[in-house]
Amino acid sequence: MNQDEIFAQRLRAAIARHLGAPGALHNLQRLTGGATKTTWSFDADVGEKRLELIVQLSNAGATPVPDPLAGVTPHLNSEEDAQIAMAAERGGVPAPHVYAVFDDADGIGHGYVTGRVAGETLGPRIVRDEKFAGARAVMARQCGEILAAIHKIDPREAPFLVRQDAAAEVAAYYRYADHYRLKLPAVELGLKWAAEHAPKNPRMTVLHGDFRTGNLIVGEDGVRCVLDWEISQIGDPMQDLGWLCVKTWRFGGKPPVGGFGSRDDLFAAYERASGISVDPKQVMFWEAFGDVKWALMCLRKGMAFSDGTEPISVEQSAIGRRIEEPLWDFLNLIEGRE
Amino acid sequence: MPTSKPDATILLQAAMKYLEEELLPTLNGYYRFQTRVTINVLNTVRRELELRGAQAADEAARLQAMLGHDGPLDSLNEEMCARIRSGAIDADDAALRDHVRRSLADALAINNPKWTSR
Repeated sequence: MNQDEIFAQRLRAAIARHLGAPGALHNLQRLTGGATKTTWSFDADVGEKRLELIVQLSNAGATPVPDPLAGVTPHLNSEEDAQIAMAAERGGVPAPHVYAVFDDADGIGHGYVTGRVAGETLGPRIVRDEKFAGARAVMARQCGEILAAIHKIDPREAPFLVRQDAAAEVAAYYRYADHYRLKLPAVELGLKWAAEHAPKNPRMTVLHGDFRTGNLIVGEDGVRCVLDWEISQIGDPMQDLGWLCVKTWRFGGKPPVGGFGSRDDLFAAYERASGISVDPKQVMFWEAFGDVKWALMCLRKGMAFSDGTEPISVEQSAIGRRIEEPLWDFLNLIEGRE
Repeated sequence: MPTSKPDATILLQAAMKYLEEELLPTLNGYYRFQTRVTINVLNTVRRELELRGAQAADEAARLQAMLGHDGPLDSLNEEMCARIRSGAIDADDAALRDHVRRSLADALAINNPKWTSR
């Protein structure tokens, strides 16, 4: 038996054990494979039903050498990732429904099984395709309501979440720049600006942390599911609103919110649903700092090979060369040229 | 500079022509995507070979004017970064803002020429 056959056999046993017999699998397909996470799509027979499912496996800790930057910014393990998604679902957020979290007896490693939601995740299609025109008209409002529900999650339901205010985040991103000995005045300017403009004493709530076009499953009716909870943390709720406006996540769409909506619609819906008033300047801080953060995430993706944690790859190298895109957007944003 | 012919830009052009016109049409899925990214990366290298020399000279001249002395480009950048971090030069400084904007525009002309015209 090859690796994939062994995996399929163990997955079937795990499904039968956690969800119910017979657990027979159909259409098992690998969707993505990365250094830290592998995703598969499959259907499974459970009782009389055939469930449409996704399995995510974590390869964390499987890198050839320890990651020298591990923990500099928050990153959840599989079990925590599943727990925050479950807490979100209980709070009325359209999060993936978690059917099972693997344990040692499964022999599969760390990971979990969720329901599979039909829809589009590719940003360029969501912001451009005619079939999503109706979705785009309602998505800013929906995102405001969903973010309000996320920010209402009781932090005691996710005690593993790390607290980071703006100043702590700025310090973390200085570490990325210094680790790779980057000497780019544009990045220094961005970090300095962020340090000088960091909101003081903000309210702190549960955050999604990566709430943006690309991490939303969208149908013709709008947002169906919020994916990728693995960098969830406790922080300033305005951070999630600002990140959704970062120009990179507009995928060429003109409207400032995720390439599909207006800030007015997002803020009004958020205020109505959360009771928290939105300070547009504070959201703008998080959008501008979001540009700087994404620039340094590009650096990290492009240079991870130099730590020995990932093989050199053309795809990651190309992302490394995207560092100036968000820095250009940052400069335009803080100079009011947008 | 080596005088071998054809020069590096022609070698790149030939490699890209093969990848794009002959290999790409035979590929699907993962391999098609990776090959597309590879062509983009080679285009970046081609633009860097064409543009970077003149850009680096301009960048060094701007840094020299702000720092008040000459030096290798890497040291000038290192010194400018240290000055920004320490606050010796203000983040609002007009000359610094102008320098950063020009440097970003130059880098984008190599890495993603479409970005500045969106």
